[in-house]
Amino acid sequence: MQNSNRLAMRLGANAGLSLVALILMLASAVRGSADPTPLRRNLKALPYKIAWECYVNGNWEICVMNADGSGKVNLTKTPGVNEHYPQISPNGKQIAYSVDTGEGRDAVRSLWVMDIHGKNRHKIADRAREPFWSPDSKTLAYLPQEYAPFNVVDYYTKGMMFYDMAIGKTTPHPNTATLHHLYNPGFSPNGKWIVATVHAGMGYSHTILLIEAHGDRILDLKIPGCRPRLSPDNKHIAWGPEDHELAIAPIDLASDTPAVGTWSLHIKDEKNKIYHINWSPDNRYVAFSRGPDGEGDLTKKGSFQAACEIIGVYAGGWNLYAVSAERTGAIDMQTATEADFAQLTTDGNSNKQPAWFSTRPAGRK
Amino acid sequence: MKRTFPLLALAALALTLTACNQSATPGNTSGGTSGNAASNSATGGGGAPVAITTKSGVAMVYIPAGSFTMGSDQGAPEEAPPHKVSVPAFLMDQVPVTNAMFEKAQLPNPSHWQESPKQPVERVRWRDAKQYCNERSRLEGLKPCYNEKTTEWDCDYTANGYRLPTEAEWEYAARGTSDGPYDFGSKDALRQYAWFAENSEAKTHPVGEKRPNSRGLYDMYGNVSVWCEDVYDPKYYAASPVDDPHGPTSPGKDVKRVLRGGNWKVSADLCRATYRQGERTGNTDACFSTDYCGLRCVRRIKPEELAQLQTAKNKG
Repeated sequence: MQNSNRLAMRLGANAGLSLVALILMLASAVRGSADPTPLRRNLKALPYKIAWECYVNGNWEICVMNADGSGKVNLTKTPGVNEHYPQISPNGKQIAYSVDTGEGRDAVRSLWVMDIHGKNRHKIADRAREPFWSPDSKTLAYLPQEYAPFNVVDYYTKGMMFYDMAIGKTTPHPNTATLHHLYNPGFSPNGKWIVATVHAGMGYSHTILLIEAHGDRILDLKIPGCRPRLSPDNKHIAWGPEDHELAIAPIDLASDTPAVGTWSLHIKDEKNKIYHINWSPDNRYVAFSRGPDGEGDLTKKGSFQAACEIIGVYAGGWNLYAVSAERTGAIDMQTATEADFAQLTTDGNSNKQPAWFSTRPAGRK
Repeated sequence: MKRTFPLLALAALALTLTACNQSATPGNTSGGTSGNAASNSATGGGGAPVAITTKSGVAMVYIPAGSFTMGSDQGAPEEAPPHKVSVPAFLMDQVPVTNAMFEKAQLPNPSHWQESPKQPVERVRWRDAKQYCNERSRLEGLKPCYNEKTTEWDCDYTANGYRLPTEAEWEYAARGTSDGPYDFGSKDALRQYAWFAENSEAKTHPVGEKRPNSRGLYDMYGNVSVWCEDVYDPKYYAASPVDDPHGPTSPGKDVKRVLRGGNWKVSADLCRATYRQGERTGNTDACFSTDYCGLRCVRRIKPEELAQLQTAKNKG
């Protein structure tokens, strides 16, 4: 009898402990889902927003959200127009973007500008691709299309043009005749250089170049991959060394012959593609897009067929993420947790091309 | 009886053109012809090569209808079993599509090597190759074969425009009248016919600089491999139909398509006419594409149309 009482007491105690453990686990789970990670808390506190290309109800739009992924807004709301590739002026006042109309080789990709709230939309040029802003926000540069008929590939460009936003006049880059098959260009924040990928052009097989912004010098940065972005403080370069990798490394843009240093951060994902890395205005974070391999989905209106990271190609399952750019070492997205990254979108509807901007008055980051 | 005259006319024209084609050089290069003309045979070798120039100025070679033994039991497992195949007559580009030809279609040239406009275009994705075919069809007022609105750009084999060769067409054209792995005989002669790892200096070369095969086709064994229309299945030969095989049905996902012919970076063994390989169709970004994938167009032709083209050529 004593033994059976002891057994009953032990069982009761065990059950009680199990119940307590269960309650603690549940409480922890509830707290975990309610409490943002330090990274997400930090992102939420930032005075920044992120614009990106989203796919809403069978149509590409430019969307805007807070830096932690909250407060998503469809900025363009144009069911009949396909907008892509938002590029924010450094003063945070305007968005340049691409608009596709038509189908197949008859399609036309145009360059448009609107203010940061989506108003005052106007076209700058037809058959004009991959806009990028000068550091003073006064010039909008772009890459003219190589031939008149449409082609979706990203390096389908020839030359480089500068559009003066004040007077509406377009002038060519002094070395425009040489510039061929560039893509994903961007000014260095010090205004001296334009960084871009070149594919099968200018005597290069494939590389990332620094092109003198107002001269004819061209430097091969000799790093693998594509789609470079320079940090606003001129100190780092972020790019994609290959389909499943992103990297950050120092670069000495003040030098007469800038070179890329040892990688400081290496983001990799064995299963998904990761692309379109871009800097926060304070240089402390990067956002990027991530999703499974694909080659477009012709059942999605407005989509072309090509590698899914390319502008105008529907990327099913792709979402936006942010990580700290101050980290060093490697982040393996297959094993990383919400402590390492913040997932900013969740619908998987071809979310690509994140572009940060500050909501503070100009001049303050 | 109604068909007799065109066929006789075709035979006469073919004989007439043989002489001028023997001295012709592809793309104004200094390749010359081998003098290794195919003999008439039941395999469809059909005498000396007959070449025409298309409306957009591309030299093509007439490949008469015929049957041959496709595959080999002397090579890799996927080359077996050897099996009988028949193909209708077709025209095939005399040389692989070059940088200049690709740019003429107003398509972005993806080639690693662009020192010469006569180098073959490479790093071409499968759909880009098909787009080139459609653009060339449009340039010449022909009906494009590929439906660009379908996921796999379905091929209409009845259209009169340009397309990629089927794997059977490619091997039939490459083997000529030979039963062996090279239509010119021994592997020792490969250097005379192909750019491959042993002589390429790790790059492509302008087309037509080597000897043509017995059908009058240049660079069939090397320089760049070319895309075919067929889905790649290493076991397909066991189930292949005899008449005009188009390859297996597409599985829809992770599809590999056939690449045929040697190229600048492979060994002599991989330049064999029976060697098969499959390649993903190119989901990767531009920066990671391959620099040995090229293309060569074909189109079906009836004897009457060939006669018309040759008549036009003679008048021109």
